[in-house]
Amino acid sequence: MESVINHIVADVPRHEGELTVAGIGGTRTVPLATIYQQARSVANGLRDQGIRPGDRVGILAGNSLEWALLDLAGLLLKVQTAGFEPDKFAPAADLLDRYDLTVLYADKVPSDERDPRIRPLSDVGDFADTAASLEPVHYRPDETTTVKFTSGSTGVPKGLEATVGSIDSSLNAVQEIFQHDRGDNLLVFLPLALLQQRYWIYSALRWGHDVTITTYQSAFAVMSAVRPTVVMGVPGFFDAARRYLESQVRAGTDASVAATELMGDRIRYLWTGSAPADPATLRFFNDAGLPMYEGYGLNETCIATKNHPRAHRQGSVGKAMPGKEIIIDDDGVVCVRSDYPVNVAYTYAESGASDKIFLPDGVVRTGDRGHLDSDGYLYIHGRSDDVIVLENGKNVLARPIEERFRHTGAVAECVIFCPKQTELVAVVSPHSEGTDAPAIASALDSVNSESEKDERVARVIVASEPFTTGNGLLTSQFKPIRQRIRERYEDALHDPKEGIRARQP
Amino acid sequence: MHDNLDTLAREQLSHVLRDRPDPASLDAAEDLVGSYGLTSLNKVLFLTSLCKEASVSLTHFSEDDLAGMRTLSDVVAALRPHVTEQGEVR
Repeated sequence: MESVINHIVADVPRHEGELTVAGIGGTRTVPLATIYQQARSVANGLRDQGIRPGDRVGILAGNSLEWALLDLAGLLLKVQTAGFEPDKFAPAADLLDRYDLTVLYADKVPSDERDPRIRPLSDVGDFADTAASLEPVHYRPDETTTVKFTSGSTGVPKGLEATVGSIDSSLNAVQEIFQHDRGDNLLVFLPLALLQQRYWIYSALRWGHDVTITTYQSAFAVMSAVRPTVVMGVPGFFDAARRYLESQVRAGTDASVAATELMGDRIRYLWTGSAPADPATLRFFNDAGLPMYEGYGLNETCIATKNHPRAHRQGSVGKAMPGKEIIIDDDGVVCVRSDYPVNVAYTYAESGASDKIFLPDGVVRTGDRGHLDSDGYLYIHGRSDDVIVLENGKNVLARPIEERFRHTGAVAECVIFCPKQTELVAVVSPHSEGTDAPAIASALDSVNSESEKDERVARVIVASEPFTTGNGLLTSQFKPIRQRIRERYEDALHDPKEGIRARQP
Repeated sequence: MHDNLDTLAREQLSHVLRDRPDPASLDAAEDLVGSYGLTSLNKVLFLTSLCKEASVSLTHFSEDDLAGMRTLSDVVAALRPHVTEQGEVR
C-alpha cells in the first residue's frame, strides 16, 4: 500500500491543484504547491518556538487557512495535532493538561488569558514568512499523527490517536472507488477538527484535485460560486437543502435547475455519512440528477462501508471499503475488521471503555445492529444502546420508530425512551418553523397505526426548542445525543400528564 | 424600490418557512430565530435567495454581519444600500 502521508510530506506537489478558503465575505485561492511551502515555514516557526517531534499541538478554531497550515506543519515536523471543535471546548489550561498538549492555538483567546501555552492562531500567519529548512520525515504505519475526540459516557470526550496506516488505507480506498482527479473540487464545511475533513486536503495534495474549505454557516452561500464537484456533507445539511429546494419546486422551478442554482453546475456526487440519511432526501437528490452516496463508519473504524458509482444499493450503507471486513456477530452487532486499524485502544477514556469496543485482531465492535445482504451490502438497523427492553421481556428497536415519526414530516427529530419499562415515550424536536401540536398528534396516531403493539408510542413530549448543536442536543454531525435529551426532559418523561397522549387503538 | 425590497424579503422568508405564511402577515420586527425558528442553515438559505433575487452580492457581508441580522427589518436595512448601488430590484 502506498503511504499517502509519506508521499505528501516528502516533497512539494508537482500538480496544479488549488486550495480555496471561501466565506460569505469573499474567497482566497492558493496553489497547493504554495500551501506546502507555507506549511514548511510554519513547521520551521513551530520549531523556533521550541516545539519538537513527539510534542502535541492543540488547535481550537473554526475552519481557516491557518488551521490547514498548522495541521500540515505538524505532519512535516512529526508533531501530533489535536483538533478541538470551537463549540465544545474552551481555550483553558485544563484542556492542555487533560490532553497533554504542549501548546494550544485558538482563534478566540480570552483577553485576560495569561497561560503562555495558549496562543492566537493568527501567530501562524507570521510563521509563514519563516525561512524553511527541515529534516525529512518518514512515518511507519503504526505511528500516529493526530488525536481525534469522540463523546464519552462520562461527558468527557474520549481521545483516540489515529495511525498513519489507517489514514493511508482510507485515503487509498476512497480514491479507488471515487477516482478524484484534476477538475474535481471537494467542498469541505464540517470542522477541520474532524480528521476525516482533513482527509480531503491530504487527498488534494496527493492526487492534484482542488479542495475548498468553508464553514457550515457559509456553505449554502458559497456553493454556487465555488462550483464544487463533490460536497462532503451530513444528513442534516442535505435535509435542509432538500426542504429549501422543494420550496423552489413548489414555486415552479424544475428540481434539477433549482439544485444547480444552489449547489453549482458541476456536482458529480454528494457524500453523506455519520448518521442515517433520510430516504426521502436520498431519493430527491438522486432524482434531481445529483447522486448521493451514503456510507458508514465510526471514529474508531474510520470509513468502513460506502456506496459509490459502481456499487450502490439505496437503503444500504454500501459494501466494505477495500481494507475493511464487516462481520455480524452472534448478537447481530456490526463489527469492523481493518487491515490497518485506527488504533487498538483509546489514549484518553474512562476505565474499561477501550475493552468494550476494541477486540483482538484489529476488530472494532461498533454497537450498531445490522445485517449484510447476499451481495455484501450492509444495512444498519439501530444501535445496541437503542434497544429498549420492555417489562414483558420483548426487545424494541427504537430507531425504526424514530424514523417513522420523522418521515411523517411533523417533527424534525424524534428520540424514543422507555422511562417506566411499560410504555414508550417520544421526545420530539419541533421543526425550526415552530410547533404544530395537532400535526404532531396526528403523526403519533399515524406512527402507531403502522406499529406492532409493543412498538406503540404512548406519549410525545415536544421539546421546548429544536435540538441543535448549540444547545448541546445534537452532535457536530447532527445526531441527537440521547443521554442529554433524556437528562433535559427527565421530569416530563416521568410525568404521565406531560405531553400529547396517543389515542387508544 | 424600498417597498419592493421589503416585499421581496417577505416573500423569500415565507418560502423558507414550512407553513409558507402570507408574506404580508410577517412581522418585520420579530426575531428570525426566536419567533420564526430559522436555523442557521435556513437563515443563510433565506439570505442567499434574497440576495440573488435582489441582485446584491453576498460578498458585501461578513459572517458577523449575517449574525447581526436578527429581524426582517435588519435584513432589509442591511441590503438596502447595496440595492441602491446595483439598481432596481427585480
